[in-house]
Amino acid sequence: MSIPALVTAVVAAAVIVASRGLRQRAQAVVLPIFTGILLLAVWHLWAESTWYELATPGQPTRRVEVFPTPGRVLPAFAELASDGRIFRYIIASLFRVATGFGVAALIGIPLGLYAGWSTRGGYAIDPYIAALRPISPIAWIPISTLAFGIKDEAAIFIIFMGAFFPIVTGAATAVRSMPIAYVRAAHNFGLRKWELLRFVVFPAALPQIITSLRIALGIGWLVVVAAEMTAIQSGLGFLIVDARNMGMRYDLVVAGMIVIGAIGIGLDWLVRRLERLDSVRWGFSKE
Amino acid sequence: MPPQSEMPPKIVVRGLTKRFRRGNEEFTALAPVDLDIAQGELVCLLGPSGCGKSTLLNLLAGFDEASGGTVHIDGEPVRTPDPRRVFVFQEYGIFPWATVRENISLGLRRRPEAERREIVERYIDLVGLRGFENSYPGEISGGMKQRVAVARALAVSPEVVFMDEPFGALDSLTRLSMRQELRRIWQLERLTIVLVTHDVDEALQLADRVVVMTSSPGRIAATIPVGLEHPRDVLSPAYGTLRKHLFGLLGVQDGV
Ligand SMILES: Nc1ncnc2c1ncn2[C@@H]1O[C@H](COP(=O)(O)OP(=O)(O)OP(=O)(O)O)[C@@H](O)[C@H]1O
Ligand SMILES: [Mg+2]
Repeated sequence: MSIPALVTAVVAAAVIVASRGLRQRAQAVVLPIFTGILLLAVWHLWAESTWYELATPGQPTRRVEVFPTPGRVLPAFAELASDGRIFRYIIASLFRVATGFGVAALIGIPLGLYAGWSTRGGYAIDPYIAALRPISPIAWIPISTLAFGIKDEAAIFIIFMGAFFPIVTGAATAVRSMPIAYVRAAHNFGLRKWELLRFVVFPAALPQIITSLRIALGIGWLVVVAAEMTAIQSGLGFLIVDARNMGMRYDLVVAGMIVIGAIGIGLDWLVRRLERLDSVRWGFSKE
Repeated sequence: MPPQSEMPPKIVVRGLTKRFRRGNEEFTALAPVDLDIAQGELVCLLGPSGCGKSTLLNLLAGFDEASGGTVHIDGEPVRTPDPRRVFVFQEYGIFPWATVRENISLGLRRRPEAERREIVERYIDLVGLRGFENSYPGEISGGMKQRVAVARALAVSPEVVFMDEPFGALDSLTRLSMRQELRRIWQLERLTIVLVTHDVDEALQLADRVVVMTSSPGRIAATIPVGLEHPRDVLSPAYGTLRKHLFGLLGVQDGV
């Protein structure tokens, strides 16, 4: 057992407990840093304890860890960056998510608005959305590979399936929950059908649509990794299965996972920026 | 005070009824109602909660279909909403995604640009919102929002304005100044206004005539002309007498 890691863990835990006495603003800085340090220390201690003895004939027996320690993951990043692989994979994954998500939004928003606005549209569309929605996008992988082969399109289709339903449902619900006074006012002031959609129904639904886009993008990012593990041979998901299959490189696996998490945070941050637009802020700032 | 009594009434309501289906029961929200409203009159519909005030107002504005009877405005039957008669909603009426200026321009889409701008600016001044024209409804007070709603309604030069508890959500001081403002604007524009309230004093301070409604089923119990000069002195004996009379009609004891 490594003494420095143990000491670090104890110190971090002590700081977390002691931070109770700090002001809130100081806590906001101290707590995330020291929970991070604590997690890393615990990870290190745990990974270290999973060793076995590797006996190679003619050489002294070595201790090998089954799980990579944080210290071994760091060079993995450098390795992935040095041959440019990580950047190619990030771009491949982002491209798939952007395409699948973009198409889902392009079809899903108008379809959802229509299903929510028109009673007839709702009758026609709702039951099928409700039935397809609970099917995990992962379940589409076999069909998708059969239809598209081991190609980008297969992964894009699966992401589309993951992102589409939250968007349609979000847009439809947004329209249905719109206060009737908005529509009455629009009728009263003589707005025509398209003006009503453009100037009332769409802006009224927009905050909820943005929320559903945020959920859909999150799902898309979850799903792309799964799709790349089976349906295609590039991208961050592929990096992870490949690192395992080609030499048990769990340090690369963990590095890949960390990159996926970081990009997920970035994507969510991007969509959240939309919430600050002047014309939608009203839908988010209910204290 | 109904002026020019020889002119035909602006709004003529005959035998107007509204029934709602509740499960498999029919519920009569409005028993046959007859009502005449003169051009340029300010009428308040006063009554307890659930007596059918909003139901009646929605029928007058053409938002809802009557179960029986007719509404005529200027001799024409009312079937759908029309920009010549605008409705001021209590809440949610103005659009939170649009600025004060955009809200006020709502009914002016088909006017030429220059004319539209001129009208919007005039009404921004009229309701005292200068300096807030680029604000969003979420950034201004309740009273200011209600003024946006009033300005948006007046900007289309309507002949009739329907208001459903327009000041209900405001504090009592703001309500009082909004009443004064409404009265001032009404005098400037010679509008016909039908305003719903369940506040006896609001009705007495604003109306030329108070239409008192009672419930189960909703109907008109009495129509009381208010022949008091403006500004109305709420402490005058005549005001007090009318006030007692209205409370009596509503079946409520005045005083706590
Ligand atoms: N869409 C509807 N379906 C069924 N019943 C309704 C409907 N709208 C109104 N009612 C009923 O009709 C009656 C009159 O309602 P209305 O909204 O006109 O009352 P109100 O006088 O405006 O009351 P308040 O002062 O509370 O606004 C109430 O009993 C109400 O429950
Ligand atoms: Mg009402």
